[in-house]
Amino acid sequence: MRTIIHLDMDCFYAAIEVRDAPELRGQPVAVGGAGPRSVLTTCNYEARRFGVRSAMPGLMALRKCPHLIIVPVHFDKYRRESQRVRALMQAFTELIEPLSLDEAYLDVSARPEPGVEIARELRRRIYRTTGLTASAGIAPNKLLAKVASDWKKPNGQFEIRPGDVAAFMRDLPVRRIWGIGRVAAERLEREGVRTCGEMQALPVWRLQELFGSWGTELFHLCRGEDTRAVEPHRERKSLSTETTFREDLRTLDECRAALEPLFAEMVADLRKYAEVKRVTGVMVKIKFADFTHTTVARGGAQPELRVYRELLEKGFGRSGQPVRLLGVGVKFAEEAAEEETQLELPLDLGRGVGHR
Amino acid sequence: MKFKVNRDHFSNGLAQVLNVVGTRPTMPVLSNVLIEADGDHLDLTTTNLDLGIRCRIKATVNQSGSVTLPVRRLASIVRELPNLDVQVEASANHQVKIASGGSNFRIMGIARDDFPPLPEFANETTFTLEQAVLGQMVASVSYAQSADESRYFLNGVYFHFHDGKLSLVATDGRRLALTHREMDFGGSNGGSLILPAKTVAELVRLLTKQEKFGVTLAFNDRRVAFRIAVADESSGLIDEVHLISKVVEGNYPNYQQVIPKEVHQRVKVERELFLQCIHRAALVTSDKSNSVKIKLSNNLLEITAASPDFGEAHESLAVDYSGPDLQVAFNPAFLMDPLRALTKDQITFELKDEVSPGVFKTDGNFLCVIMPVRL
Repeated sequence: MRTIIHLDMDCFYAAIEVRDAPELRGQPVAVGGAGPRSVLTTCNYEARRFGVRSAMPGLMALRKCPHLIIVPVHFDKYRRESQRVRALMQAFTELIEPLSLDEAYLDVSARPEPGVEIARELRRRIYRTTGLTASAGIAPNKLLAKVASDWKKPNGQFEIRPGDVAAFMRDLPVRRIWGIGRVAAERLEREGVRTCGEMQALPVWRLQELFGSWGTELFHLCRGEDTRAVEPHRERKSLSTETTFREDLRTLDECRAALEPLFAEMVADLRKYAEVKRVTGVMVKIKFADFTHTTVARGGAQPELRVYRELLEKGFGRSGQPVRLLGVGVKFAEEAAEEETQLELPLDLGRGVGHR
Repeated sequence: MKFKVNRDHFSNGLAQVLNVVGTRPTMPVLSNVLIEADGDHLDLTTTNLDLGIRCRIKATVNQSGSVTLPVRRLASIVRELPNLDVQVEASANHQVKIASGGSNFRIMGIARDDFPPLPEFANETTFTLEQAVLGQMVASVSYAQSADESRYFLNGVYFHFHDGKLSLVATDGRRLALTHREMDFGGSNGGSLILPAKTVAELVRLLTKQEKFGVTLAFNDRRVAFRIAVADESSGLIDEVHLISKVVEGNYPNYQQVIPKEVHQRVKVERELFLQCIHRAALVTSDKSNSVKIKLSNNLLEITAASPDFGEAHESLAVDYSGPDLQVAFNPAFLMDPLRALTKDQITFELKDEVSPGVFKTDGNFLCVIMPVRL
């Protein structure tokens, strides 16, 4: 049996800003750009009380909370603090998989002391060193550890013991499963499924009908089963969001309408990585009713809705078929910082329609 | 077939058609040159099925006829013959006797019937240009062609006849060179073709730099033919050299979309001087750190390069510049290629920031867009 800790810093960026500017203490504070179209990256709990959320447009946040203080982002500072936290984790294990600057999985199975004690000690050291609080989830796998870290947030921790898994999963809303977003949750809701317990009643073939090959994974995840290893060197090369439509989209206009929420969802995911990863290209994936699929990519481009619209039009034009699935994504630069990268011209080199 | 020919004329003619022949052709006859003797000349033709060349040389033909002979061996033999007078005679079984002074060779040929004819053209689009102009245009872009087979449609130079001008474009996806020239289409509507890299190389070799010699280009959607007037008849070549090639089939990408619309920071540089500075700085680069940094500050252009295990280089040029400080890194070869190919003394170099392309320009007829290296 493994012991995995999911460590999640509490409102990381906002907490750092408040720590460094004591006059902000007790005030609703958000971190984000100041422009009319910019969005917040994080906000503290004082701001959340007013309904302010991460990824919310700054203007909307100010409407909900007029005395909200919006601080500009200082990624250098966040990265530095993140490294200090990382160093503290390394005292306990080498098996650390960072998810972003403020989140990581630790595999502490090899340690003699119980996971809860490690988590408590780690959080204590983080607070002593950085003045920041963190929450932790302790569980037999990554899925449960991540869910658990949210349970006693902020500045708390929660353990799911192997014997408690079944009971814990029964009432857990499906959205808490990693990977289930708005679209998947809606599809499950149409099946009358809101909790993992209800999801466990669905046979594996039904999940496959709904979600394709991911269905098998979901079959296990909704039972709290997750065998994914903590991978210290996992490097994210791309990020994408896709959805299979209940009914195929027949026109370009329908596709355009479907593109926008997908784009918004991807950008929200992207926000977690944008500061550590450099985007080197964007792509649109289209699967047609006849199961052929095509990917339209543009190197060098940045994730802007305009670019995705152009790529969509190009991809849609490659087949006369209705569209079954749409995906939007970005490619990240390779991590090796010293590598020189020859940038590519944003030439449209078309790639044609391929078969699975 | 029986003729008398000047050794050097024969040798020059064979040299014109030699390059086309591959080392391991699919049919034996493709290793051969087709020799057709008639009137006061010989026609020499080679082909590799994708690309064919024909040239004409002076000769005294006693008996007209034709035969094919292995071109590489034949060229070596002719070059080495002891006497300027060369007698050639073919017998019925395609054996060819070559006699010059005390030398006498008998070479096994192949019947001309086996030699694939060069395609004939009909109803094609035709344009005529000056050789020196076309040669300079091709040379100023051809270095930017892609050698990446997976992007086969970039393995050539794009000829685009449009809006009263001929544009030539080449790109490998990292840099793009474009040149254009006003042109009178005569009643034609224009059109476009992708000339394969191998044909580009042959074309550049065949075009004379002397002024006032024409080249006529005819193409349809599968093939292109160049008729290149011979400039120097003292070589023994007469009339025209014909180059007939398949075109690259595929759509050339819309090159206009990568040409920056706005002008950012701009400096004028002395081409030769700039080239020498980059060349010297690039001497310290390595495979791992193959870039030079161009730094612009008030009236100063600096070029630096470094590789961790070897050392550093610093070069500087006085320029007329008063914009913000800028630093952009490039692959030095990408900067040197256009600087070498151009002939103008002064060129304009435009920069924006470390992730936007640098652009070389001359007087409205040429530009080269080069993507930077991100450090």
